[in-house]
Amino acid sequence: MTSRGTPSRFLRSVLQNGVGRYVCQLKRISIVFSKKAQSSLGARDFIEEGVVDYANKNPGTVVYVSPQPCRVPKIVAEYLNGNVREETITSKTSQQISELLTKLTNQSGLEIIRIRKPFHTDSPSIQGLWHPFTNRPLSIGPIRPQKPDSQ
Amino acid sequence: MSASMAYAGLWRTCRMLLPRHHVLSPAAIRTQSSASGDLMPWTSLSRPPWPEQPSPYSAEEEQSRHAAVVSTVNQRINLRDFGRLFAVVHFAGRQWKVTGEDLILIENHIEAECGERIRMEKVLLVGAEDFTLIGRPLLGKELVRVEATVIEKTESWPKVHMRFWKRHRFQRKRIIIQPQTVLRINGIELAPRLT
Repeated sequence: MTSRGTPSRFLRSVLQNGVGRYVCQLKRISIVFSKKAQSSLGARDFIEEGVVDYANKNPGTVVYVSPQPCRVPKIVAEYLNGNVREETITSKTSQQISELLTKLTNQSGLEIIRIRKPFHTDSPSIQGLWHPFTNRPLSIGPIRPQKPDSQ
Repeated sequence: MSASMAYAGLWRTCRMLLPRHHVLSPAAIRTQSSASGDLMPWTSLSRPPWPEQPSPYSAEEEQSRHAAVVSTVNQRINLRDFGRLFAVVHFAGRQWKVTGEDLILIENHIEAECGERIRMEKVLLVGAEDFTLIGRPLLGKELVRVEATVIEKTESWPKVHMRFWKRHRFQRKRIIIQPQTVLRINGIELAPRLT
């Protein structure tokens, strides 16, 4: 739809990721596939070859492999902020599945909707916010406290 | 947000550090011929709307004042007497005003993995609360160091690109998904001899 009809959010990160250490936001990956169906062929190939390397490369992510009788093989990714993403891998090759997995690993769990601004700061002004009197000399003289006339 | 470079004819973008003898009287500028080529055309923004006041200081006094300002700023930098720094950085075809701990979204793919530190080299301006260092156009790499971490490499939301001509039975629809990178600026370091 249009950007006005769809939800939107501001750019942010989960729990100030990156200020100190970078933490991979992917918590758990479950690969659901079937042992016999043709659509799970790529998934089976990937599990034969690439799953162990992927699990070793990402020590912070738990990988679950569950063969079930299912029509549609999918990957269920759970993130540290609680969001769950499901991607179907019907008739995908092993190479495509590994690329999809790297993409899911590099994402944080925030929703993929329109991001309103491409920047975010917690301290927007350092030298002070501009107001119309900044850098203007006074039109009247220097302001001093009024001396009482009776003195 | 952009730190625009100086055009000689626009007073709003001119820096106060430009030598005074470039500013001629309005009558003198108008009588210049266009064949000289190095003067911008005279517009309503060529001079500020307030009357121009000649500087009450002589040339030597001005030079000594400038030297005093420069030495104060250098002392501040050597003693690290500044608080939070901000910088204007040219990155990915755009200029960003950047502080520590803030986020930036780049609409393309960067050749660095998630979690890697990146140094941004094109720094145009660095400022603290009391002083600003303006580069011409860039500041030296041994003066400023701006570091960032790659946090996230995602794809954008599916944008609809539609073309439609009415009464011509023409419409095309395309979904555009762009790669995005999110950077977290770790910090800005300022030192006279930093590499």
